[in-house]
Amino acid sequence: MTWSASARGAHQPDNTAFTQQRLPAWQPLLSAGITLPLFFCAGLAFIGLGLGLFYSSNGIKELEYDYTGNPGTGNCSLCAAEGQGRAPPPNCSCAWYFSLPELFPGPVYLYYELSNFYQNNRRYGVSRDDAQLSGLASALRHPANECAPYQYSATGLPIAPCGAIANSLFNDSFSLWHQRQPGGSYVEVPLDRTAIAWWTDYHVKFRNPPLVNGSLALAFRGTAPPPNWHRPVYELSPDPNNTGFINQDFVVWMRTAALPTFRKLYARIRQGNYSAGLPRGAYRVNITYNYPVSAFGGHKLIILSNISWMGGKNPFLGIAYLVVGSLCILMGFVMLVVYIRYQDQDDDDNDDE
Amino acid sequence: TVYDQWFVTLFNIVYTSLPVLAMGIFDQDVSDQTSMDYPQLYEPGQLNLLFNKRRFFICVAHGIYTSLALFFIPYGSFYNVAGEDGQHIADYQSFAVTMATSLVIVVSVQIALDTSYWTVVNHVFIWGSVATYFSILLAMHSNGIFGIFPRQFPFVAVASVMPVVTFRFLRMCLYPSLSDQIRRWQKAQRKERPIRSRKPQIRRSSSRRSGYAFAHQEGYGELITSGKNMRAKSPAPTSGLEKTLYNNASWIENLCKKTADVVSGFSHDKTVK
Repeated sequence: MTWSASARGAHQPDNTAFTQQRLPAWQPLLSAGITLPLFFCAGLAFIGLGLGLFYSSNGIKELEYDYTGNPGTGNCSLCAAEGQGRAPPPNCSCAWYFSLPELFPGPVYLYYELSNFYQNNRRYGVSRDDAQLSGLASALRHPANECAPYQYSATGLPIAPCGAIANSLFNDSFSLWHQRQPGGSYVEVPLDRTAIAWWTDYHVKFRNPPLVNGSLALAFRGTAPPPNWHRPVYELSPDPNNTGFINQDFVVWMRTAALPTFRKLYARIRQGNYSAGLPRGAYRVNITYNYPVSAFGGHKLIILSNISWMGGKNPFLGIAYLVVGSLCILMGFVMLVVYIRYQDQDDDDNDDE
Repeated sequence: TVYDQWFVTLFNIVYTSLPVLAMGIFDQDVSDQTSMDYPQLYEPGQLNLLFNKRRFFICVAHGIYTSLALFFIPYGSFYNVAGEDGQHIADYQSFAVTMATSLVIVVSVQIALDTSYWTVVNHVFIWGSVATYFSILLAMHSNGIFGIFPRQFPFVAVASVMPVVTFRFLRMCLYPSLSDQIRRWQKAQRKERPIRSRKPQIRRSSSRRSGYAFAHQEGYGELITSGKNMRAKSPAPTSGLEKTLYNNASWIENLCKKTADVVSGFSHDKTVK
């Protein structure tokens, strides 16, 4: 090498490892020894996991019933027809009868599902005031501007809770009755409506404003309920731990869903005789039909389901893992064949010389 | 929009800028000594083989595939899902966080694949970016989310990255580039240092003869373009590396002949005028 050996000039860069790019480094090479075992191991792991997820999902039982009330689908259509697209009269009720041939293993969960309901719409999703919902007294009577047009009522009172999300609160209610003997009387199945919201939502994010003289109604004096509500927010439930902003149904509803078809937890069935599941027999679900969905072409469903280690019934992830796992193994074999032939070809060429 | 607004803001600044910077500064595919020994390594750059329209569209296609995988896999998993306690977990915040986390992991793994020279700084920047993402996430969101989705992230990262690894491996097997071969040779050399060290000496001497870049007198130009010094006076190459260099050399020889013809064609025109 013919470098000119001049003296160290003023602009010559330092001869350190950093500036001369001689830092100690690891230089991996994508060789067969790394890639092929990686693909085979990943493929096998994915296939195993996929099988586990798939069988676990298949083992979950689910019962669903569409009670939107489209004409000709059972007696909920009467409630839907009465409303004609606007809110149906309060306390219209209908029923769903079903029977279980065998034990429905528990714990059983009751969900309601809405379809074609875009809780992920941007304008809808920002229409809330988290400061008001966290119980700040100052924000209670000064709702944020994002809540418009559900910010102040027609009479000029601030709306609590403000916003479109709160205004569209789902207000159907269900009760489950079990007929043990054919022709016998119906016994109510206890529905556990506590702890259906996220722990952090219920305990941290949503707080009631400070009580005035020990009364929640007085704390909300000077505010109005959202236009679509029949009752003010402090009368959502007789239980003082479940009323106001910390009402569990309200908190579950305020956690907006990501997709237009979503289900939200309504109750768990895990008390008394039904903690092991729903025994066989005839059942009736009394539905109080309050929520209008036909205006936007949506559907309402009620779903009974049980849960496994991976969550509800969702075969997608299991199938996806199986597909990717088999592709990995297939590509592993292809690369192995290519590698072996390339090796042989290389050796042959070397031998020929 | 799916992504949290803070995520979008921080994505370009914090999560992805540093690894790219580290790769741009520190990456080396062969050592500097070897770069001098094999000037053919500079040809792909001169011939615009490393970043042309075809490469660009392949890059775009890869980006499209990754974004489709990153959206539809969480979408399918979230459809009608419930948590381990039955609770509603298909909410907007969880979906956004799942996608954002998968994205950061995929991007970091992709650049880890592309980095061929791992200094300490590279390690710190790449793993540090992922760690920064998780700590910012922890600071910004409540604790409901973290127990729920560890299952999905490795899946999405693998599903996006495995095709890339496959293509790279097959390309290295079937159409190895010169720099791949030299890297392999370098790695082998480091393992069998005493035996192999003699071979590079031979190569260096022949390249010194054709080292026209450092010529102090004229005259080598004709030697190069006639291709005489490139023909195999030395014994037939035995190792794969030398054989490929030999093949490359004959290709260079043809290229040089063509250039010489063109040049002589021009000079002929000039003399006519």
